[in-house]
Amino acid sequence: MAKLKLALYWAGACGGCDVAVLDVNEKILDVANLADIVFWPIALDFKYHHVEAMPDKSIDVCLYNGCVRSTEQEHIAKLLRKKSKVMVAFGSCACFGGIPALANFSTRAEIMERAYIEAPSNENPNKTLPQIKLKVDEGELTLPELYDDVLTLAQVVPVEYFVPGCPPTVELILKVVNALATNSLPPPGAVIASEKTLCDECDRKKEDKKITKIYRTHEIIPDPQKCLLEQGLLCMGSATRGGCGSLCVKVNIPCRGCFGPPAGVADQGAKLVSAVASIYDASSKEDIEKMVKEVVDPAGTFYRFGMSSSMLKRKHLQRK
Amino acid sequence: MKKVSVDPITRLEGHGKIEIFLNDEGDVANTYFQIPELRGFEKFCEGRPVEEMPRIVPRICGV
Repeated sequence: MAKLKLALYWAGACGGCDVAVLDVNEKILDVANLADIVFWPIALDFKYHHVEAMPDKSIDVCLYNGCVRSTEQEHIAKLLRKKSKVMVAFGSCACFGGIPALANFSTRAEIMERAYIEAPSNENPNKTLPQIKLKVDEGELTLPELYDDVLTLAQVVPVEYFVPGCPPTVELILKVVNALATNSLPPPGAVIASEKTLCDECDRKKEDKKITKIYRTHEIIPDPQKCLLEQGLLCMGSATRGGCGSLCVKVNIPCRGCFGPPAGVADQGAKLVSAVASIYDASSKEDIEKMVKEVVDPAGTFYRFGMSSSMLKRKHLQRK
Repeated sequence: MKKVSVDPITRLEGHGKIEIFLNDEGDVANTYFQIPELRGFEKFCEGRPVEEMPRIVPRICGV
């Protein structure tokens, strides 16, 4: 079999997805036997003009990680889509918006103001902000334009497969590699993880009990054998796709939902709100108000990794 | 003035590009290093529970 051509790209990302690919350790040699990597900014010195010069559909598989929130990221997404036979949204940012999509609770102007003017480590007396075009003595400099909205990859280009996780686990990455090696990829549109929820895969004991208080994670040390939600900790497990190996709940901390909604669930946050409402022992309006107060950051908890792909998408913008 | 673009800069964590301007003699007149990316942790961490920060800010850099 001829070697596959593989591209990896990071858009609005932290590099963790790229490092996760390296975390397969010696199995990276299997990847090298299977595929020639034709673009991978973190590890190899290919430039955008190299990709532009490639024939259309000449890349077999592109693993695109990171969210899309600038003209550059959208341009590269479209460029790689044109050059690739199979486009994979790799990691929670590309799949659902990820942590960067928490920016959808603010506006671009607020983010710029905070990052470049207000932040205490800045010294910017002239309140200079990044410019899309800037004349300098030698010519012109350009920067990509930042969008108001953080988008998922599938919101800008058609995507064949989704590999969730912040970052995707080694097991999932090897599943993708093996599927490529044996030419046994699932039907397009598939999410390469579990079809069950994390709750279904969790070993903790559930007692179908009600809770009377929601705790913040520093307020109690939970019993490592029992369901975290039934101990009053907001655990996203019942609203989250499994396949992560229960990494967080195994070390006694509640799930934050980085694998996104399970099959058949449109909105992860709404699903968890429903789960909390049904487990909370509330019989009066006062009980309900108490419960609502106990959830200190509902938006940032229920939509920790999934704001872009949620039904909310973003905080309402006051358009002029 | 001739411009040489290094875009993207590679084999490091983060996003960047370098624009090198050459004068008529072909010597470097000036060089600009630019960061074409912003996610806004400075803003979206505000108001979130402090005990959640260890689960949010590692995503500033995952390398």
